[in-house]
Amino acid sequence: MPLIGSEKKEKKGEGGIKGVLYGMAVHGSVTAFLKTRMYMEHLFMLMTLGDMLGFPIIPPYYSLKLLPYVVPNIKAWKMRMFRERDFTDLITS
Amino acid sequence: MTGLLEYFEKNPETSVVIFAGKGGLGKTTCSAALSYYMATVQQRRVLCFSTDPQASLSDIFERDLFGKGEIEIVPNLFVVEIDADKRIKEYQEEVKRKILDMYKLDKLPEEVEEYIESASAEPAMYESATYDAMAELVARGEYDLYVFDMPPFGHGVRMVAMAEILAKWVDKITEAREEARKYEAVAATLRGKRVEEDELLKELLEIKKKMSFFTELLTDSRKTAFFMVLVPEKMAILDTERALEMFEALGIRMSGVVVNQVYPRELLDDPKTPEFLRNKVVSQQKYLEEIKEKFGKYIVAVIPAFDREPKGFEMLKLVSEHLMKSRIEL
Repeated sequence: MPLIGSEKKEKKGEGGIKGVLYGMAVHGSVTAFLKTRMYMEHLFMLMTLGDMLGFPIIPPYYSLKLLPYVVPNIKAWKMRMFRERDFTDLITS
Repeated sequence: MTGLLEYFEKNPETSVVIFAGKGGLGKTTCSAALSYYMATVQQRRVLCFSTDPQASLSDIFERDLFGKGEIEIVPNLFVVEIDADKRIKEYQEEVKRKILDMYKLDKLPEEVEEYIESASAEPAMYESATYDAMAELVARGEYDLYVFDMPPFGHGVRMVAMAEILAKWVDKITEAREEARKYEAVAATLRGKRVEEDELLKELLEIKKKMSFFTELLTDSRKTAFFMVLVPEKMAILDTERALEMFEALGIRMSGVVVNQVYPRELLDDPKTPEFLRNKVVSQQKYLEEIKEKFGKYIVAVIPAFDREPKGFEMLKLVSEHLMKSRIEL
């Protein structure tokens, strides 16, 4: 039993170092990439499902075909699109 | 002018034929007659497809075909009369089921349900569904010849224009999707994770493949023939002129003009011809002159007016003989 405990500890420690290194080295860029990725995902959704927000979209037929894949993103997307913006966004976002 | 047979001899690669024109002038009759001839005389495997919401192939073949899928009427001749409303309904259900399965849900989120309902009410939905059905049938490639009976001129030609717009739209969003993927891939690599496969991109590429195949086929004048059907009347002539302009703007070559419902000129020589009929023939002769002048080189066939409705195989055979080997000189 104690063996398992120490093993666990060791693993945790290793993960911790890895985490620190990751945080120091690339966390910033990963966040930036993911943010850009989110913007693009939202732009894409606007192009395909924009009519959900009132933007006319040409072929709704094919939008429906793509709809299932973006269902989990709809909430976040709508919130982002409808959010009020002011100068504090520059600091916080 | 020697009929459509000569056209097919000169253009042996033709695999899609589209009849367009104003409503009620005989597009459906021509589609049915051509299909019947090709299947029975030339033993080619033919699919006759009606995209007209007021389709009357059922009438001509004297059998209820509406929304019943591909039905073999005589050996080698298959007929489809698409029920676009039904197709949209089935499509909606398919999308809903997919979402429920993908996310293991019992019920659709309200906004998603609402969106599916409202998108399906869009008028463009109807055309897209029809177009998609056409593209799908042709992509399967199970027939030697596809004959499309287009809805009356206006949106018949627009359907081809829409194909190009659709193709461009899919191109653009595919590009946007691929761009977004790049960022995800970089982030995933930095985090030491694997990039998941993008199902959505796969779906998009699938749509794109289907669409570009069909659009390329439609704009390839060796493989696709567009025929306009008209009658010797002012309105029909005006419409055909407008269609010619639209075809040109879309970069499509019109393959020919079929003049339908022509009364025999010999009626004028018979003193017993009643005044009413005589006037009709005289008026037609005037417009036939105009047709000759305006579309001379395009005229491929002249079909006489019949004393009965073109229904049933016997009449179809008669019409197809005039359509394929035209004997009437203008």
